[in-house]
Amino acid sequence: MPQSDLTFAVPKGRLLDDALPVMERAGVVPEAGFHDKANRALCFATTREDLRLIRVRAFDVATFVAHGAAQIGIVGSDVIEEFDYSDLYAPVDLDIGHCHLAVAQAVDGEDTDGASHVRVATKYPNITRRFYERAGVQAECVKLNGAMELAPSLGLAGRIVDLVSTGRTLKQNGLVETQRILDITARLIVNRAALKTDARVAELVETFRREAEARANEKATA
Amino acid sequence: MTTTDDLLPEGLADNLPADSAMLGRAMRAALDAMDAHGYDRVSPPLVEFEKSLGHRMDGLQTRAMFRFVDPASLRTLALRSDITPQIGRIAATALSARVRPLRLCYAGEVTRIAADQLDPVRQRLQVGAELIGSDSVAAASEVVLTALAALEAVGVENLSVDFTLPDLVTTLAAGPFPLDEEQADAVRRELDAKDAGGLKAVGGDAYLPLIHAAGPFPDALDRLRAVDAGGALESRIAGLEQIAAAVGNRARITLDPTERHGFEYQSWFGFTLYAGDARGALGRGGTYLIRGTDEPATGFSIYLGQALPLLPAAEPRAMLYLPLGHDGEGAARLRGEGWRTLAALSDDEDPCALGCTHRLESGEAIPL
Repeated sequence: MPQSDLTFAVPKGRLLDDALPVMERAGVVPEAGFHDKANRALCFATTREDLRLIRVRAFDVATFVAHGAAQIGIVGSDVIEEFDYSDLYAPVDLDIGHCHLAVAQAVDGEDTDGASHVRVATKYPNITRRFYERAGVQAECVKLNGAMELAPSLGLAGRIVDLVSTGRTLKQNGLVETQRILDITARLIVNRAALKTDARVAELVETFRREAEARANEKATA
Repeated sequence: MTTTDDLLPEGLADNLPADSAMLGRAMRAALDAMDAHGYDRVSPPLVEFEKSLGHRMDGLQTRAMFRFVDPASLRTLALRSDITPQIGRIAATALSARVRPLRLCYAGEVTRIAADQLDPVRQRLQVGAELIGSDSVAAASEVVLTALAALEAVGVENLSVDFTLPDLVTTLAAGPFPLDEEQADAVRRELDAKDAGGLKAVGGDAYLPLIHAAGPFPDALDRLRAVDAGGALESRIAGLEQIAAAVGNRARITLDPTERHGFEYQSWFGFTLYAGDARGALGRGGTYLIRGTDEPATGFSIYLGQALPLLPAAEPRAMLYLPLGHDGEGAARLRGEGWRTLAALSDDEDPCALGCTHRLESGEAIPL
């Protein structure tokens, strides 16, 4: 039985604020230094002796867990879909971090794309390509890591595929949502081999599942 | 000087002496274990017609193989990426008249043209055994036990076996939990990722309990039993229980009824082998159908390269330095006794730097 430390990967940014209370109810509580904005450390202890926390970019959460460098993590389903890693399980829908992935175009822009070919600026080239493939359209993706909203107005690409939660960013940049691709929530993810060879990982999954169920029941009765 | 021409392509590597020796020993140990269980070794060629590699089993794809045109026959050839279809071909052709069940084993290199996202390796040593003519519970038990015996012989500890039912969704979709073709594909995809949220979204609510029926064996099997599928699962559950009983405590047993990863052609039963701290699977196996003769078979494959980091480092070996003008016959006698010798080529050699531990002096091995 492997008794090395478990590593729990969490994403930087907005999702983390929603995830921390959920993790706390599931018994994963980081040390005080984790909440200190000035702290530059990337690896943190938790109240559990055999569990440490790492804070990385959302896409890297999936990569760390898929490779087994971290056994368990929390990440949006957009990241899971984009990588489509074969060694990643997403056994619990945490029902937090709701948003969706959508195609957006300039409000007043004319469509410069042909019927069988589109040019799209996105952080999600795989999802985008698959989405357009299903419609029989070849998508040429320009991979950007942020500020996709600039692409249409500067002529980089006619449309963008990006996360939308309130729609405010799109509006402020003169864009309008034209197609909804995917609804997104945060998922608990685990490494396949870790789940099968380490009973502690299965226990954590069970704890998170019960927590999510309890929350769903609370919501239903409220 | 090293130029970029000396680089090996991505995913290909030399095995230097230490690794090579370990791999060689591991392969011999595994082959001996299979031989001891009554499996005869066969050695199929590296290259075959693409069609014969691709059509022997359902679900096999030749897309990931190196392929090229044969100048002699003008047909497409492929480098094998899996030896199992070759064994199937042998069983269906050259050995078709042999008495069944037929037990064959093999060891050889396999390649693939593209690495997957997680494992960059493009050439691997595949070792395995196939029991042809049966896919019964008894055959499955024997194959699981033989696979464990092979890994034990190699020296791998803390073994763990994960059982699966590869054709589960197909069975359930045709019976108690009906799905049309397109839906079934979506359900399989979400089950692959164990994505509870995604599964609900594609209308596979009935399949949700299957995600939860994964884990340590007795508990997970109870949860699978609780899935009311109108008796469609009874024989499979009974089969799993018997195989688990045969394994006993030789390995930790887990169940994941919807696992399909690496089970492209398996039918009712499949298993994956894990060990200790290893991040990936060491091998897998299961029951399948050999196309052409439609003969049932059960088998397993292990990838010894994966097991290498788990093996203890080899003990340093003694080596006897034979100085210039040594007694040739005496040296041959010592080799016969098990000594490994290294003969001098010139006077100015340092035996220690060459890795020798002893020196031959007047017919005796003297420690250096």
